[in-house]
Amino acid sequence: MGDGRAGGANRPAWLQQYELVGKIGEGTYGLVFLARLKPAHPAPGRRGPPIAIKKFKQSKEGDGVSPTAIREIMLLREINHENVVKLVNVHINHADMSLYLAFDYAEHDLYEIIRHHREKLNAPINPYTVKSLLWQLLNGLNYLHSNWIIHRDLKPSNILVMGEGEEHGIIKIADFGLARIYQAPLKALCDNGVVVTIWYRAPELLLGAKHYTSAVDMWAVGCIFAELLTLKPLFQGVEAKNTPNPFQLDQLDKIFKVLGHPTVEKWPTLANLPWWQNDQQHIQGHKYENPGLHNIVHLPQKSPAFDLLSKMLEYDPRKRITAAQALEHEYFRMDPLPGRNALLPSQPGEKIVQYPVRPVDTTTDFEGTTSLQPTQAPSGNAAQGQSVSRSMPRQMPQQPMVGMPRVAAGTNMAAFNAASQAGIAGLNPGNIPMQRGAGGQSHPHQLRRKADQGMMQNPGYPQQKRRF
Amino acid sequence: MAANFWTSSHCKQLLDPEDVELVPAADRERGIMPEEFRLVKIHMSFHIWRLAQQVKVRQRVIATAVTYFRRVYTRKSMSEYDPRLVAPTCLYLASKVEESTVQARLLVFYIKKMCGSDDKYRFEIKDILEMEMKLLEALDYYLVVFHPYRPLLQLLQDAGITDLTQFAWGLVNDTYKMDLILIYPPYMIALACIYIASALKDKDTTSWFEELRVDMNIVKNISMEILDFYDTYKIDPQRGLPDDKISPVLNKLPAKS
Ligand SMILES: Nc1ncnc2c1ncn2[C@@H]1O[C@H](COP(=O)(O)OP(=O)(O)O)[C@@H](O)[C@H]1O
Ligand SMILES: [Mg+2]
Repeated sequence: MGDGRAGGANRPAWLQQYELVGKIGEGTYGLVFLARLKPAHPAPGRRGPPIAIKKFKQSKEGDGVSPTAIREIMLLREINHENVVKLVNVHINHADMSLYLAFDYAEHDLYEIIRHHREKLNAPINPYTVKSLLWQLLNGLNYLHSNWIIHRDLKPSNILVMGEGEEHGIIKIADFGLARIYQAPLKALCDNGVVVTIWYRAPELLLGAKHYTSAVDMWAVGCIFAELLTLKPLFQGVEAKNTPNPFQLDQLDKIFKVLGHPTVEKWPTLANLPWWQNDQQHIQGHKYENPGLHNIVHLPQKSPAFDLLSKMLEYDPRKRITAAQALEHEYFRMDPLPGRNALLPSQPGEKIVQYPVRPVDTTTDFEGTTSLQPTQAPSGNAAQGQSVSRSMPRQMPQQPMVGMPRVAAGTNMAAFNAASQAGIAGLNPGNIPMQRGAGGQSHPHQLRRKADQGMMQNPGYPQQKRRF
Repeated sequence: MAANFWTSSHCKQLLDPEDVELVPAADRERGIMPEEFRLVKIHMSFHIWRLAQQVKVRQRVIATAVTYFRRVYTRKSMSEYDPRLVAPTCLYLASKVEESTVQARLLVFYIKKMCGSDDKYRFEIKDILEMEMKLLEALDYYLVVFHPYRPLLQLLQDAGITDLTQFAWGLVNDTYKMDLILIYPPYMIALACIYIASALKDKDTTSWFEELRVDMNIVKNISMEILDFYDTYKIDPQRGLPDDKISPVLNKLPAKS
C-alpha cells in the first residue's frame, strides 16, 4: 500500500507510479481524478491501465480522516465482487493529510448513459441492455446484502459501467461513503446528519423509520429500473432544505401520486411511523385513487417486467422483493436473456451505441489547483475528446475538457491479495461451525485447580439490550 | 467479509504466537525484552480502556482499539511509534470505524485529565491526527475486526447457560490484555471463556462441547493461556500495572520529539 513519505518537494513517492490525466469529478468530500498507472516497462505508445483516484481532504473541523473515507476503505477492503467497484490502492499524503483511494476506472455510469439516451439519442435504452444492467446491479447488491452491507445511496451516478476492454459493459456499484454493515439495526440517516438525494429514498425513511434494512436499497433499484425504462427519474420530488428531520412531503406526494396511497391494511407497521402519525392532514389527507405506474413506465400490467418493478416498489419494506428473489424473477428468464456485457447490441447487426467518454478537466492537478494553461492532453485521444462536446457535466467547472481514450483492458494490478469471493455468508450470523457429533473429550472441571486466583474482571458488562 | 469471519481480512491476518511475541528489531536494540514488550502492551490496553471509560464508548470500540494497537506492534516498533500516542489514536480510529466518533479534542482533554502530571502521555490534537494516518497505513487499511462478544452470547444461549453471561463477558474483556485476538478466531476465544466460566461455576458443559465438534485442544490451550495470564500478572483491574514496573520500560523508548 501507499507509502506517504515525501519523494522530494513534499510530493509523496507513490505519486510517481501514476501519470495524472485530470479531474473527472468533484464532491463534498474532495475530488476524483483520472490517472494512468505508469507501465512497468515504458515504451513509446505503451500506456498503463486507467485508474480513478478519489481524494479525501482532511475534514475542516479538525477531526482527521473523514468518517466517509473510513467507511469506504473499511468496506471496500473486505469485499470483492465483479459488480462492485474495485479498490486497487490507498495512498496518503502526510504533508497535507489527504487520503487517496485508487479504483479501477469505469468509463461510464448510469447517469450518463440515461442522459445520453434522453438528450442525444432521443431513444430508449434497448431491452437487452436494461435487463443486463438491472441483473448485474441486483447481482452486486445481492452480494452486498448477503454480507450484511446496505449501500444506502444507490442512484444512477453511483452505478458505474466499464468501458471497452475485457470488462466492457459490466456494472460496478460504487460510492460506499454511506454504506453500513448492519449486524445491528442501523440508526436513521438524520441521526448522522447525512443528506442524500431524496429521489431514490424509500418511503419508510421518508416517513421517519428509525431503522434501516436492506429493503431501502431495493426501493432505489426499483426507481433506477423505471428510470432505465423511461429515461426520467420516477419520483422527482422537490427537496425541502433546512429541515432538521427527514420528512419530505413533496417526495412522498410524488410517490403516492404514482403508486396510490399506502394503507395500514397493506402496510401494517405504517401506523407506527412518526410522520404518518404526526402529519395527518398533509400525508393522509390527499387521496390518489388511480395508481398509474404502468402508464408511466409504458409496461403492460401483466408483463413480468412490470411485475418485478412493482415488487421492488412495494410500500411495506418487509414485503418488498429482495435482491436474491429478484434475480430469480421470471423477467430474467425470458428473452432477451441478460448478459455479461450490457452494452452489446441486442441483435446481431444492430448498431452499437457509442456512449460518450468521461470529460476530463486536464487543468487541475492532485492538489486541486487549477493551472491557466491546460496540461498536455494524453496523445491519441484528440478526435474522441472533441466529440465529447456535450453540455456541462455535473459539478464540473467551465474548463477545457479532454475525452479519455478508449482503454484496452482492465487492470490486473493486484495491489491487495484480495480474496476469491467464494463464501458468501449463510444464515449463521456468528459463522460458527456448528456441526454436531463427536468431539472434545476432556472436562472443563479440570481447570478448577486454577480457579480462584486473582481474576481481574472488568466491570464492562453492557446494560440490557445494548448492541455490540 | 463483513459478516463472514472466514472470508474476512481479520481471518487472513491471524498470526502464529511466535510472530506476535517477537520484539521489533528497533526495540530490541534499545534493550526491550520480550517480557517488557508484553508489559507495555498490557499497560497500554489498560490506558485505552481507562480513556474509553472517560469518553464513554461501547465495549466493542475498546476491543477494536486494542486490536489495532496490538496489530500495529506486529509490524512497527515502539521506538518509532510511541505507544503513548498510538494508544489514544487507536481509540480515536476505532470510534470512527464503529460509528461512534469521539472528537480528537475530547480525547486530548481526557488524556490531560488522566495523565496530567506525566508529560510523556500528553499530546496535541495535531499529533493524534497525524498518527491516525500513520495508523491507517500501518494497519494496511484493514479495519474490520471481529470480536468474541457476539459469538459468546449466541453460544451461551445455545448451551443454555446464559446465567454465566456476565462472568464469561468479563473474561472476554480480559483477553484483550493478551494478544489472543491476533492469533485465534474470535469464536474460539469465546469458547475458551465459556470453558473457563463453566469450570469455575460448576456447570457441566461436557456434552455440549462434545457436540460442537470444535478442536477442543485449541479451546483448552486458549483457556490455559488465559488462566496462566491471571496467574502471572495478578493485575489490579482498576489501576493496571504499577508504575514502578512500567516506567523503566517506557524510559527505554526515545523521548518525545
Ligand atoms: N472508479 C471510477 N471510475 C470512473 N469514474 C468514477 C469512479 N469513481 C468515481 N467516479 C466519478 O466520480 C464521481 C464521484 O465519485 P463517488 O465515489 O460517487 O463520490 P461522491 O461521494 O462524491 O458521490 C462519480 O459519480 C463518478 O462520476
Ligand atoms: Mg456518488
